Amino acid sequence: MNHLIETEKLTIHFGGLAAINEVDFSIDEGDVIGMIGPNGSGKTTFFNLLSGIYKPTAGQITYCGENLVGLPAFKISQKGIARTFQNNRLFLNLSVLDNVLIGMHPHQDSNWFDAIFRRRYVEREIKKGVKAGIELLRQFSQELADNCYKRSADLPQADRRKLEICRALASSPKLLLLDEPSAGMSPEETEELMEDIRKVRKRMEGIGIVIIEHDMMVIREVAERVVVLNYGRKIAEGTFQEISNNETVLEAYLGREERDAQA
Amino acid sequence: MTQGKNIGKAILLIAVELIFLTLFAAFMLTDQIGKTIAFIIFFIFLGILFKKWEGLSENTAKLFKEMKILALVVFILMVLALPFVFQKSPYLIHICVMAGLYAILALGLNFQLGSTNVVNFATAASYGIGAYTSALLAVHFHVPFWIGIFISGSAASLFGLLLGIPCMKTKDYYLSLVTIAFGLIIYILLINFSWTGGPNGVPNIPPPSILGHSFREPINLFGFNLPFQSNYFYLIFIFVVGALLVAYRLHHSRVGLTWNAIREDEIAARCQGIDVTWYKILAFCIDAFFGGVTGTVYAHYIGFISPENFAFIVSVVVVTMVILGGMDNVFGVIIGAVLLTILPEKFRAFEDFRLLIYGVIVVAMLMFRPQGIFPQKLRVYK
Repeated sequence: MNHLIETEKLTIHFGGLAAINEVDFSIDEGDVIGMIGPNGSGKTTFFNLLSGIYKPTAGQITYCGENLVGLPAFKISQKGIARTFQNNRLFLNLSVLDNVLIGMHPHQDSNWFDAIFRRRYVEREIKKGVKAGIELLRQFSQELADNCYKRSADLPQADRRKLEICRALASSPKLLLLDEPSAGMSPEETEELMEDIRKVRKRMEGIGIVIIEHDMMVIREVAERVVVLNYGRKIAEGTFQEISNNETVLEAYLGREERDAQA
Repeated sequence: MTQGKNIGKAILLIAVELIFLTLFAAFMLTDQIGKTIAFIIFFIFLGILFKKWEGLSENTAKLFKEMKILALVVFILMVLALPFVFQKSPYLIHICVMAGLYAILALGLNFQLGSTNVVNFATAASYGIGAYTSALLAVHFHVPFWIGIFISGSAASLFGLLLGIPCMKTKDYYLSLVTIAFGLIIYILLINFSWTGGPNGVPNIPPPSILGHSFREPINLFGFNLPFQSNYFYLIFIFVVGALLVAYRLHHSRVGLTWNAIREDEIAARCQGIDVTWYKILAFCIDAFFGGVTGTVYAHYIGFISPENFAFIVSVVVVTMVILGGMDNVFGVIIGAVLLTILPEKFRAFEDFRLLIYGVIVVAMLMFRPQGIFPQKLRVYK
């Protein structure tokens, strides 16, 4: 069976620096993989490679048996890879609902001609989208659904993260890349986030999730496997238990018992 | 009881619109600088009143929303009556025609500047290409206006496509620079080509005609003899309505939403499966089509075109209109175009300072009200 996505010796150089260096990685349908590592270790760069924002210098990315290297980001997204961003890239001046509607872009097909001359078709499409969008929002938060005509810039940080996940899910992806979803959240909000991730898994069967996190509690709770990056290389992979006892990982990232206070 | 109330409301609505249009007509008819300034101060005062006194603006908005169709019909009728009001002064009708032309240009640019945040300074070029295409066709090959307008619209769109492709390699300011360069290239070419008439332009462009009625003849309506400009006034009115409809429909569709997504965050848009390049080029083409159509009407209206009509400054003026009226607000853009066509005409005495005033308007708007007089509104789906 093919992996959902698989990278082979994936490498990208920025000038002399190898931000990602020969990383082999794979995820199967229904898996949740945590990705950890110190700042600057290449986690977000890895996401940017998967979603097509950067072109790799060398190596392969295979998605459902299909080569992704060289495809533009929008095509990769249309194939079913959705992502969120570390510093939250919502369409801030648009309403909550509009953000979700844009997420549905790959599944809609009306063009400029339809917009001008085939009004009924367009209106049906919008109606369908609005219904599905509100439904999706409601499953994550009744509050978001109730405020779906609010400008998304007016939302608090936690709701913005939630909305970003909703927007990514609106394209019904097969693979979801979450870049530090708990950044800037309170412990209660993080708790809620983990609940949301479980909801996603239940709602969309077979969806693969890669999650970058600094909050080890989230990783422990939701990830079945953990990949550790350091200086662009994969230094370890395994269950949370294995990782937290791995010497190299402790050295590079997690820290030892006596240094816990500083970490 | 409710019926009586409704009639009362309808009368109120008509009264509000009548007062507004009377003020507008009176403003247009004044020929003294002092009175003009008094009017402007009065309008600004009204604007501030509406902004500060929320009850008033809310109730007015509610009134208009409740009786949308009536408000629209009355407004259209009043606009259509303008040539009758101005029948003694063709010059005023001419200003209205120009306002209509600029309104279409601004609506076209709004797809780029307002919806997509592509700052295109080549409006004058597509405007010029449209004008020259149909003018040359009409003068040399006797192609009638009604066919020429489609050809010139398509020619301008093609130009938009050609301009869009190199622009896609660049972003932000660099993109604007490319468009400025293209605008200048077209201008210089128009001057230097011999088959476009060079600096002398194209004279004797025939006017359009319907059923044997030439648009350069005065028109007789309901026993009133209206100056020939009225023909164009009604023509441009239809075009503005058409442009408005297209703009509105595009805005309220997947296409408009996609443009907005690109404006807000290009990278995020890419990651939602949006083909940013194609949608930007689409905006270029539609904008250019609007420009081409406007150019055609202008050429056949004035009867003479020269490169000077399509200089860089025209693009600047249209950009200013969009910024003043309100980015991505179809209604606001039209207001911006109308204001910036009428005001300079009213201040003919200070013509030398025209450019300075445009500069001041742009800077002032960007500093104090970057969203324009009428800010962009969030879409609401019923």
